[in-house]
Amino acid sequence: MIEVRELSHAFEIGKKEKKTVIPVLVDVSFSVEKGEIVTIVGRSGSGKSTLLNIISGFIKPKHGEVWIHGEKVSDYNEGKFADFRLAYLGFIFQSFQLIPSMTAYQNVELPLILKGMTEKERQQKTEETLKRVGLIEYKDHYPSELSGGQQQRVSIARALVVNPPLILADEPTGSLDSETENELLQFIQELNRDLGITFLIITHDEKVAAIGHKTIEITDGRVMEGVLA
Amino acid sequence: MNLKDQFRFVRQNMKKNKTRLFMTILATAIGCTFLIVLASVGFGLHKSIIQDVMEDSLVTEIQVHGKEAGEGNFQGIKDEDIQHFREITGVKAVTRRQSLQQSPIFKTEDYTAQSEAVSAYFPEEVKAGFELSEGRLPEKENEVVVGSSFADGLSLEPKEGENAFNEDGSIKEEYAYKGELVGKTIEMEVIKMEDGKEIKKSIPLTITGVTKKPSKEWMQIRTVFISEDIFKEVEAFTGTPGGSPEQVEGASGDTGRIYDRVSLYAKDVEAVTGINDQLKDGNYMVYSIVNEMKQINMVFTILKIGLLFIGTIALIIASIGIYNTMTMAVTERAPDIGIMKAIGAHPKTIKRIFVLESSYIGLLGALFGTIVAYGISYAVNLALPLVLERVFEEAPPEGLMLSYIPWSLTLISVAICLTVTIFSGWRPAKRATQVDVLKAMRREV
Ligand SMILES: Nc1ncnc2c1ncn2[C@@H]1O[C@H](COP(=O)(O)OP(=O)(O)OP(=O)(O)O)[C@@H](O)[C@H]1O
Ligand SMILES: [Mg+2]
Repeated sequence: MIEVRELSHAFEIGKKEKKTVIPVLVDVSFSVEKGEIVTIVGRSGSGKSTLLNIISGFIKPKHGEVWIHGEKVSDYNEGKFADFRLAYLGFIFQSFQLIPSMTAYQNVELPLILKGMTEKERQQKTEETLKRVGLIEYKDHYPSELSGGQQQRVSIARALVVNPPLILADEPTGSLDSETENELLQFIQELNRDLGITFLIITHDEKVAAIGHKTIEITDGRVMEGVLA
Repeated sequence: MNLKDQFRFVRQNMKKNKTRLFMTILATAIGCTFLIVLASVGFGLHKSIIQDVMEDSLVTEIQVHGKEAGEGNFQGIKDEDIQHFREITGVKAVTRRQSLQQSPIFKTEDYTAQSEAVSAYFPEEVKAGFELSEGRLPEKENEVVVGSSFADGLSLEPKEGENAFNEDGSIKEEYAYKGELVGKTIEMEVIKMEDGKEIKKSIPLTITGVTKKPSKEWMQIRTVFISEDIFKEVEAFTGTPGGSPEQVEGASGDTGRIYDRVSLYAKDVEAVTGINDQLKDGNYMVYSIVNEMKQINMVFTILKIGLLFIGTIALIIASIGIYNTMTMAVTERAPDIGIMKAIGAHPKTIKRIFVLESSYIGLLGALFGTIVAYGISYAVNLALPLVLERVFEEAPPEGLMLSYIPWSLTLISVAICLTVTIFSGWRPAKRATQVDVLKAMRREV
C-alpha cells in the first residue's frame, strides 16, 4: 500500500548567508502492506510528523520516493496530489482540523462536495457515516459545541466518508483522555477489520503503538527496524 | 466541485463579514453609477443633437454650393451642371432655386410685407417632397406660392406716431392680416437704381398656394416662390444678374444662369454617400446631413470613449476596495483553506471560489450601480428642463436629453465593472491557492 524508498529530508532555516540546514530524515525506507495497521514511534523531534507530511504530500522531500497504491506520488505536483488525497487518503489530526463555521454535517460533507457529488448522494453518504461514528444526533452542532472526543469522531467521519483505502493519523489521541482514547483505538481496529482500511498512525503513546501490526521506530531521522507488536 | 456548490460556498463565506461586504459592494456600485451617469451625458447629448439635426431636414438631401474650378476659383451652379446631376445614379430629384438679389415689397389691398423672393422649378420640387397646406402649385408664370408664415408679415400702414409691431417683433392685432391668401392678387414691387435715383416697378401676381408648416414651430417661412419667368422679368428690368438693384462691383460678366440653391435628393439614405463622393470628385462643394452626421458621430464617439475612460478610473478605485476585501478574506480564511487543501481541494477549486466571490461582489455592485444610474438619469432629465427654464426664463428645446442610457452603455459598463473586479480579485485568489497547509493547520497564517 505504501512504499517509502531511501527518503531524506532537511529543512533550511534562515536567510541566504546565515542559512543552516537541519537534516530531519536520513535514508528512510519501509513499507506498509494493504490491510495493516502500522504505528510509527519515536522521541519528540525525531522527524515522525515530517515523515507523515511527506507521505501526505504537504512537504516535498529532498531525496527519495514515496509510492502509494502503486503510484509514485512523490513526483506529483500540488494539484495532482490534491486529487490523489481526495480519492485515496483519509486524515486524522491531533487537533481535529474541523472548519469552525461549519456544522458536523457540513464538515463531513465537505470532501463529497469537493468530489462533485450530487446533493442527494451526499446526504445519504454523510448521514450513513455520521451514524457509523455515532454522532447523527449531533449533526447540526458546530465544532465548538462538541467535546474533544466527539470532534475527533467527526474528523474520522470526514476521513471515512469517501471510503479511502488508507488513513493517515498524526497523534490521533493526543488531545483525548484515556477513556476516549480507548474508544477511539477500538473504533480504528473495527474499521480495519470490517472495512479493510489500512492505517498509518504516528504516536508516542505506547497504548496506541500497541494496536499496530507493525511498529516502526524513528530515532534522529533514521528507521530502527523492529517489529514490537 | 460543481458550480452550484461553489456558489453556495461563496454565499456562505460572504455572510461572514456583512459590513465589509456591504461597503465593498457600495463602493463598486458608486463606481459603476458614476461610470454610467458620466457616459450617459455623452450618449444623451449625442442623441439630442442627432435628433435636432435629423428633425426637419431630409437625410437624403445633398446641397451643392458651387464648383471649384482650379485654385481659389469658385463658380456657381449652371444649367449644364444641373443636367449632369440628373444623370448621376441614385438621384431622385434636383431642385434649383435662385434668390432674388433684393427683397421686394408685396402689397395686397392695404396690407404690405417685405419678403424674400425665390424662383423655383416646381416639378422637381414636388419630386423632392415639396408640399402645400392649401391651394395648388403655380401653373402660369404670374402665379406664386407663399411660405406658411407669409401672412404673419403682412400689415396695415400704422397710424401717425404709432408702431405696427409688438415688442417681440410680431404685428399688432389691429394691423395684422386675417383673411385668406389663396386666390388673392398681390403686387410685387421691385426697384432699380439709376443715377442715384430709385425706380420702382410693380408686377401683379396671384397666390395659388401656401406651403406646409415646418415641424419646428420656431421656423418661419415667409418666402414667396415665384416662377423662373418672373425672375427673368425682374432681371430684365434691373439689367443685373439675380435682379440686384445696382451693378455689383466685380461681378463677372458671365451671363449664364446661376443657381444659388441647388439640392440633390437621393433615392434612399444609402445612396447619399456614393452621390456625395461622385460630386466631390467633380470638384463640387457639397453639404449633406449624412456626411455631417459622420463627423458629429466621430466627435461624440471620442467624447463617449473619454467619458467611459474617466468613469473606469472610478471603478478602478473601487476595485482597490475589492482587492483589499478579498485579501483580508483570504487571510481570515487561511485556516479553512488549509484544511480544505489538506483533505484534497484542488488549488484551481480554491482559486475559482475566490474569483467567484469577487465577481459576485462586482456583479452585485454593477446591478445596484446600474439601477441607481437609471434613477439618476431619469431624475436629471426630469429636473433639467425645469432648471433651464428657471435660469433662461425660456422653455428648453423639445426632446432635450442630458442623460441617456442605451442598452449598449449598460452592457459596456457591466462588462467593465466585471472585468475590473475579476482582475482585482485575481491576485488575492492566487494567494489563497498558495496557503501553506501545515502553517494553516498550525494557525500560523
Ligand atoms: N517547517 C520546519 N522548518 C524547519 N524545521 C522544522 C520544520 N518542521 C519541523 N522541523 C524540525 O524538524 C525536526 C522534526 O520535527 P517533527 O515535527 O517531524 O518531529 P516529531 O517527531 O513529529 O516530534 P513530535 O513528537 O514532538 O511531534 C525538528 O527538529 C523540527 O525542529
Ligand atoms: Mg509530531
